[in-house]
Amino acid sequence: MSRRSGTRAPAAAAKTRTKKDANAPTRNGDEARRVGTRGFNRRAKAMKPKQPVQRTRTPGRGLSDFAALLPELDYGRALRRIPRAAWMCALVACLNAVCWSIVAPPFQAPDEPDHFAYVKQLADTGSLPTASQETVPEEFAALQALHVYQVRQRPQTHTISSQQDQENLERVLASTNRASGSHGAGVATSQPPLYYALEAIPYDFANSGSVLDRLQLMRLLSTLFAGLTAMFVFLFVREALPAAPWAWTVGGLAVALAPLLGFMSGAVNPDSLLAAVSAMTFYCFARSFRRGLSTGGAVAIGALTAVGLLTKLNFIGLIPGVLLGLIVLAIREARTSGRSAYRLLGLAVGVAFSPVILYAGINALSGHPTFGIVSTAIQTTHGSVLAQTNYIWQLFLPHLPGTVNDFPGLFTTRQLWFNGYVGLYGWLDTPFPGWVYTVALIPAAAIALLCGRSLFQGRAVLRDRVAELAVYAIIGLGLLVLLGADSFRTFPSTNAEYAQVRYLLPLFALFGAVLALAARGAGRRWGPVAGVLIVVLFLAHDLFSQLQVIARYYG
Amino acid sequence: MRAVKTALLAGLALLVIALVLTLLGSPMSVARMNRAPGQSEELVTSTNQSANYCQAHEVLPRGTSAIRIWIDAAAGPRVRVVVSSDGRPIISGERGSGWVGGSVTVPVKPLPRAVSGATVCVSFRLKDETIIVQGEHAPATTAARSGQEALSGRIWIEYLRPGTRSWASLAPEVARHMGFGRAAAGTWIVFLALALLAAVVVLASNLVLRELP
Repeated sequence: MSRRSGTRAPAAAAKTRTKKDANAPTRNGDEARRVGTRGFNRRAKAMKPKQPVQRTRTPGRGLSDFAALLPELDYGRALRRIPRAAWMCALVACLNAVCWSIVAPPFQAPDEPDHFAYVKQLADTGSLPTASQETVPEEFAALQALHVYQVRQRPQTHTISSQQDQENLERVLASTNRASGSHGAGVATSQPPLYYALEAIPYDFANSGSVLDRLQLMRLLSTLFAGLTAMFVFLFVREALPAAPWAWTVGGLAVALAPLLGFMSGAVNPDSLLAAVSAMTFYCFARSFRRGLSTGGAVAIGALTAVGLLTKLNFIGLIPGVLLGLIVLAIREARTSGRSAYRLLGLAVGVAFSPVILYAGINALSGHPTFGIVSTAIQTTHGSVLAQTNYIWQLFLPHLPGTVNDFPGLFTTRQLWFNGYVGLYGWLDTPFPGWVYTVALIPAAAIALLCGRSLFQGRAVLRDRVAELAVYAIIGLGLLVLLGADSFRTFPSTNAEYAQVRYLLPLFALFGAVLALAARGAGRRWGPVAGVLIVVLFLAHDLFSQLQVIARYYG
Repeated sequence: MRAVKTALLAGLALLVIALVLTLLGSPMSVARMNRAPGQSEELVTSTNQSANYCQAHEVLPRGTSAIRIWIDAAAGPRVRVVVSSDGRPIISGERGSGWVGGSVTVPVKPLPRAVSGATVCVSFRLKDETIIVQGEHAPATTAARSGQEALSGRIWIEYLRPGTRSWASLAPEVARHMGFGRAAAGTWIVFLALALLAAVVVLASNLVLRELP
């Protein structure tokens, strides 16, 4: 009897709010408390009137099921279901990144010469680079004619600025022997090949042109990844915070205008694709947490994980969170679908790690370290676990009393990460004037306060979604630990080697959600106004960042 | 909707005002440096300990409002610069930690007059991080010193002050400069960038007005 009344209460409540979102914070919390989280979640799923969820829930047949699913997917319909605002966010991000690709001089972005060399090697020879030296003759000649080495990390030196330099550059570009790849791609050598294989397409397309023609086309391909990132941040916010549709635009548009995304996606750098793949992964998780794990969802998460691992090694940091997410989703699914839901987990993990297993197998058979550079990196780790943990903590947060201070005189949270986000372009050699970083604390604090207020107001819902939030947190934490552990390998000879905020681009989906929450934190009346101000703030940040880069290289 | 429109217009107006003020300002320019242009730097010293380096016989131009020291770090420490003349400090400045790259620029109070024969001292506190000091080799008599010990050469130092021309008046030169070193060279690229930025502003504003209630 009591179970019956428990069933009726939320159902009756649902009838009265067909136009409101089932996950609206306050209502949700109240009802969840009344009927219990599990029962509430089941009913919340069942009573979504506005967005009929089409699920192909046939777990249990593994890969054959996946194969049968593929022809059924209507890609055109799926694309049409993406809201227009998401497309607009993508367009804004693309155009902004194209602008950055023009503003940033050729090869004046982190490691761009090495990434170009990787693509050249792959496109010209069909093989991967095997050495870490940077000796591609054609590229080297262009770098010299562009004065890249004199300009890099010397903010007082501008790029070539005379007609004579330009004529010399053109002469060099026209006369340089286009020898094939040199097996050397500097720091990019150890990275997996997916991004570079994609970049080989524009490289080949401009094959008859100069190094600069090929570079510009390759940069344009990267700008598309900025568009994908912004679109999937929008879609992630829509799934994760469905209650206020206007806030989705704030999250998506602010990320589209973020200068860090524009700068990195306006250059040849796998971080651009990594950001897009990560945003897609977050979206798939948010969708699965909201609608349940389907075969398509499991395959998508698995495939995105495989793509991420094939894009950049940094994706390894996201793996613990991805695995946890799949396990949580499978457990939840098993409550309604039985044990067969665990086959979805197996399917996702199988798809995700198939490239890794293949790679490890080839390495094992050819006598190389099983996991390539990852195996080498693990072997070169030094110091105690405690020392490493302490270092990783301090790389992001202030050191704790009683611990050894690895960063004396340095407030890493602010000076490395916050200032790095506010502005550090080029080869980390193009900052704003010092006062800008101080002033930037004001809007940052306002956004943090508003976001905190929003979270406090929705604390009841947070409790209901603690597993989902834990998954996002572990994904983020995994990436931070990876960056810290990798930096610790070169410590103390080099400190904070990977303390570069571009490595946090994979977490931009969470950043978009924070901004959307901040706008909502201003309340129903002032929320949209706060949203507008956040967008204008990001627009201004983007504009002045580009001006700063122009002043540094061409001023 | 009205509040959204007002907020957007106010925000964009503020943005335009900030842009105009920026363009009316003057960029910092190098008023003097103690090296020949085009010269390649040499290692003067490197350290992973706290240090204080002093270099005599420096000439500071009038109006110097920032001093750029050629020291290299991955995550630079707090740097303090003190300029002395006849044994008395005349200007000093500090730059917080966290800077990166091959040089650090330390703002100082603008110097009212030119000073010659000055001694520039650079100090920082270090633990583990390696700092590379760059410049050119010089005899011990003129080299920079760490306490009583002469380094292997003189540290490169540049003295900066606000230029005489505004960014707005420099715009044509900057645009011409931007056109060099491109796949398709020419000033037209600046207009393309401006058109793209305008499109970004228009599309973003339009989206905000459409989607926000």
